[in-house]
Amino acid sequence: MSNVKLNTLPVPTYSWLGVNDTQRELDAFEQETVSLGGDRNIIDVSDSSAFEISAQGGENRLAVMYINSEKSAQIRTGVEVGESSAVKLVQVFEGKAQTVASVNAKLSDSAKFELVQLYLGTGDTVSEIDTELSGRKAEFTANIGYLLAGDDKLDINLIARHLGRKTKSSITAKGVMDGCSSKLFKGTIDFVNGSVGAVGSENEDVLLIGDKVINKTVPLILCAEEDVEGSHGASIGRVDEAHIFYMQSRGLPEEKVLDLMAQSKIAQIINTIGDEDTQKNINAKLGRGNEDE
Amino acid sequence: MKEKTTVADIDRSRYDFRFEEDEKDFLGSGLTAEILDELSTEKNDPDWMRAFRQHSLEIYNKTKMVEWGPSIDELDVDKIVTYIRQKSRMNTDWNDVPDDIKKTFENLGIPQAERESLAGVGAQYDSELVYHNVRKEVAQSGVVYTDLESAMHDEKYSEIIKSHFMKLVPPTDHKFAALHGAVWSGGSFVYVPKGVKLEIPLQSYFRLNAKGAGQFEHTLIILEEDSYLHFIEGCSAPKYYEAGLHAGCVELFVGKNATLRYSTIENWSKNMYNLNTKRALVAQGGKVEWVSGSFGSHVSYLYPMSILNGEGARAEFTGITFAGEGQNLDTGAKIVHNAPNTSSYMNTKSISKSGGISTFRSAVVVKENAVGSKSSVNCESLMLDRISRSDTIPAMDIRTKYADIGHEAKIGRISDESVFYLMSRGISEQEARAMIVRGFADNVSKELPLEYAMEMNNLIGLEMHGSIG
Repeated sequence: MSNVKLNTLPVPTYSWLGVNDTQRELDAFEQETVSLGGDRNIIDVSDSSAFEISAQGGENRLAVMYINSEKSAQIRTGVEVGESSAVKLVQVFEGKAQTVASVNAKLSDSAKFELVQLYLGTGDTVSEIDTELSGRKAEFTANIGYLLAGDDKLDINLIARHLGRKTKSSITAKGVMDGCSSKLFKGTIDFVNGSVGAVGSENEDVLLIGDKVINKTVPLILCAEEDVEGSHGASIGRVDEAHIFYMQSRGLPEEKVLDLMAQSKIAQIINTIGDEDTQKNINAKLGRGNEDE
Repeated sequence: MKEKTTVADIDRSRYDFRFEEDEKDFLGSGLTAEILDELSTEKNDPDWMRAFRQHSLEIYNKTKMVEWGPSIDELDVDKIVTYIRQKSRMNTDWNDVPDDIKKTFENLGIPQAERESLAGVGAQYDSELVYHNVRKEVAQSGVVYTDLESAMHDEKYSEIIKSHFMKLVPPTDHKFAALHGAVWSGGSFVYVPKGVKLEIPLQSYFRLNAKGAGQFEHTLIILEEDSYLHFIEGCSAPKYYEAGLHAGCVELFVGKNATLRYSTIENWSKNMYNLNTKRALVAQGGKVEWVSGSFGSHVSYLYPMSILNGEGARAEFTGITFAGEGQNLDTGAKIVHNAPNTSSYMNTKSISKSGGISTFRSAVVVKENAVGSKSSVNCESLMLDRISRSDTIPAMDIRTKYADIGHEAKIGRISDESVFYLMSRGISEQEARAMIVRGFADNVSKELPLEYAMEMNNLIGLEMHGSIG
């Protein structure tokens, strides 16, 4: 085991905030890489693993990973999306042990990469996503949802590097924090010089329910190109009291109102998966029926 | 061929004049216990201050350089002259100020501003205050506006100075706070008694004339309950090839239901490292309003911090940063919500051109006890060419569910749609683009004192030769 620095913020900020990196004790990583070559790959991941997903020549691939390890695990995923090809990667984190996950993606001309991550009771999860939009008109969409409770810890470092012209990134994170959970979400849109016409947006919406939660949000825009548009927004707080009052006046107890609000946040992310069976499966895990049922 | 409209570099001709210093007035450069001892003797420090300087030096020697922000590798603190002996004692009559110093401040328009629109003025030249004056009626209301060192030696204020000096920004805060604690010199002390509302501003102006020198002034302002003050701070220096250093410190204590507006126009020359620390502690129902314009310096680290320590305390930060060629300006603000029902609002604009680097950096911290608190941060950046850089690095640390926190940021160029809309209303393309650039800075410039707003508009002058983009 050795102490490893993870999730390094691309440009460091005030040290006293404790957001510049994260350290964990990790075993040496010695897993062989498994290639996910089918159009539709559904896998359970219960131990340290390495995957690669490659889509070339107009291929479309879907990979769904249910990550549920009972012991400390490292999950590495490399993604290469060739010209006019598309990859959708869905990762559902359910384990209660320490999980260190990474996704490294490279996108060529007109490539599309959609990432959906759901953190449903994370224990201690450190997750890094680094996407290079190298090709012209490459697109990256990230939809991230989390339901944290108890003493869950979640640390996410997401980087979208715009290298190619007219590239596009869209990052959405929605989550609910209960109990004494803690979360750090670092999202970076990096417009490298030459990424003319690139557009990037990032948004995080956090609902705080627990009395002892610690929420940290660090949304960066780095810009070395004039002809780009970048934006980020964050909204962090509780349920509006007027909403609670309205729902209570319709006969719903406050606890149920909060549960509904939490479910609605995560449902918005689940609905971006687009694969009916996967959505059904995740909804079942959450004790929810499908919305159209 | 279509010619580009260019936004002019800041015209510094008003600031780039200088007078030769006599090097025998310099205290040796570098930092040693002996030099600090000599400084303490020179300034007739009380024992506690003599010990404070030595203790700060120990902290300085033990503290690492910051591991974030722009590079300051080219700054050799050992080569910086930390103290320049004053040419004359501090004066309260403008006519008694030495001629070259008088001419410096007259060029900068300070005496004229005092006559027309200020309740009091302080002027620091290199290491020492050379002039301090306050209107008679203001003094009669109980307001104290004097240089910090006179106050420290005055038995009426010595205890208050001792109990507040570097308590908000302790020398352990960071390496340059420790440096400041060791070599500070000059600066102002303002005390506004309970219930006194000063309708016209006080202003301090800091001028660093000497080559390869540092300025380390300390500003301490205490507002008692229900009082009001607008304090204006201006800074400039002529350009040299040698690096200069500004490591001042501002400590503001805002009492219950009091309001302090603190406006700064920083226009140091482009050889300066501006590593300034500003902090306000705001009591129940009190309010601090920061208005900040950063135009000068080679490298800046500037993030005024507001600690909202009493229920219902508020902070507002309005800032604009203009980074041109050879400049790396890292600016922003920090706010700590440390009491219930506190609120904060941050609104900043930054413009980068000619290879300049502008970084907006912020922190909003909401502690567990700050229930019912609200914060809103809005920052916008405008890139005017492809060789510049603009980064936005905000951070939020929220530790109570009873808070409402919002953050928005945008970065980009002049939008074609906006130009098209204005042109469809009969405005020429050139004028439309110029209007957008002026408008971008407008909601910040209107918060500045009038004369500074006019100066800022002059600084961000547009050369109309064609179209931007």
